[in-house]
Amino acid sequence: MANTLRLYLTCIRNTLEAAMCLQNFPCQEVERHNKPEVELKTSPELLLNPVLICRNEAEKCLIETSINSLRISLKVKQADELENILTKKFLRFLSMRAEAFQVLRRKPVQGYDISFLITNYHYEDMQKHKLIDFIVQFMEDIEKEISELKMSVNTRGRLVATEFLKQFI
Amino acid sequence: MAAIAVHQFAQCITCHAWSPDQSMVAFCPNNNEVHIYRLSQDKWEKVHVLQKHDQIVSGIDWSARSNRIVTASHDRNSYVWNLEGSEWVPTLVILRLNRAALCVQWSPKENKFAVGSGAKTVCICYYEQENNWWVSKLIRKRHDSSVTGVAWHPNNILLATTSTDGKCRVFSTFIKGVDTKDSRTGPSSDSKFGEQILQLDLSLSWAFGVKWSPSGNTLAYVGHNSMIYFVDDVGPSPLAQNVAFRDLPLRDVLFVSERMIVGVGFDCSPMVFAADERGIWSFVRFLGERKMASSGSKYGSQFSEAFGKLYGQSKHGVSTDAVEPSRSRGGVHENCINCIVPLRQPGISTVMRFSTSGLDGKVVVWDLENQADLSDYL
Repeated sequence: MANTLRLYLTCIRNTLEAAMCLQNFPCQEVERHNKPEVELKTSPELLLNPVLICRNEAEKCLIETSINSLRISLKVKQADELENILTKKFLRFLSMRAEAFQVLRRKPVQGYDISFLITNYHYEDMQKHKLIDFIVQFMEDIEKEISELKMSVNTRGRLVATEFLKQFI
Repeated sequence: MAAIAVHQFAQCITCHAWSPDQSMVAFCPNNNEVHIYRLSQDKWEKVHVLQKHDQIVSGIDWSARSNRIVTASHDRNSYVWNLEGSEWVPTLVILRLNRAALCVQWSPKENKFAVGSGAKTVCICYYEQENNWWVSKLIRKRHDSSVTGVAWHPNNILLATTSTDGKCRVFSTFIKGVDTKDSRTGPSSDSKFGEQILQLDLSLSWAFGVKWSPSGNTLAYVGHNSMIYFVDDVGPSPLAQNVAFRDLPLRDVLFVSERMIVGVGFDCSPMVFAADERGIWSFVRFLGERKMASSGSKYGSQFSEAFGKLYGQSKHGVSTDAVEPSRSRGGVHENCINCIVPLRQPGISTVMRFSTSGLDGKVVVWDLENQADLSDYL
């Protein structure tokens, strides 16, 4: 892992550490409801300033916090078209299985590739440091996974091409 | 070590309260029930389950003299529980709220209680003998957001509130027929019900956990921006002090004495703040052990990084490049502490013992005796 990635992830980890201070908070607008305020955005006083952490233009992380929920949106690096399509397909595959991940959001926030939604219920059930570890580990792995996928696609492409071109020898 | 007893009662506890003789504890295990446990032969056993609410219970207070429990819940209702024989009998309090009730506290004379709510109002409830029910009077149109905390002044009239609009307000709650004229003293001497005496605009973020000092001279509350605020001379010209600290924000505070306060919150360890001779408040230390493992391993990784450079990057590259996983803190609580309750000895104004409960489901009893560095402030 490059040194800059480590700095980027450490920055995200520290920000999450400070931002993940959630509590049970019933809805102010609708009677007997309890909803993540970061999704509703009906009461501006219950939202905190969003934090945007950028490694470069293509890779960024947006952390939005409210009194009872936290939303983390990631944009993963896509250097070429192949990476673009791999990322899209892979993250779509994950998003479709969002309930297995609990904190994964079904649809990413506009402009980002994948989003997590952590509510006060997750915060009560799970340990905070494990949750943060999961997010950071996820970010680390997604990069590895995409480059591995890219490598295998390229290898396969080369093999197929060699096989195909053999008939002309 | 200041923690003298740790009890794991449930998965998660939203709030708790002790019986007057401290032999029983009532808490909400993060659902619509209130469990009451009693200590018998060194073992806690469940003696009562209060089931009347249909949403999570957000506040419990057990009155010291009249032995009544008041509960408030997100289902907009509040119940007063009286022990009749061996059964707790509930009385519904018509709060006239249309949003969740968030916090509740008995007044010092126990003839009134205050409920803070998500409807941006505060209810002051008192018992009406002729109708045999609890009547609620509302303080409306004063708060711009949910009321997260209420605290009674020792004079039984003044009520301090904090809300998520970041403000702390002080109201007069004089009710004719309940309060007598002679109890009106100090700055509230000629104010009607619901009159705002003071509005403190110190915090830029949500405010929580308001408390009065035992004498009622100092008011303290916390902001979500990791600040704690102390206000002296509550009245027309208040004196305020802000203390910022480097750790995660607090949720609730408790005055141990006039010059010492304990704050609990997202950092999982109680923090002690104290005032010096000139009345300047500052952070003293954490209560309970905190392992300093994180700083040690940082040095370690720097060393191994240096070794890695020495032997060529590839050898140690894997171990040094990994982002350090965060660790759980070495405190008694493993998750956010959201409730701190004093364990008062009759006749002593200084609180030597208190208990905390949090999202990890533990109730921890702390003792401040044998803490040499803190005894000056008690």
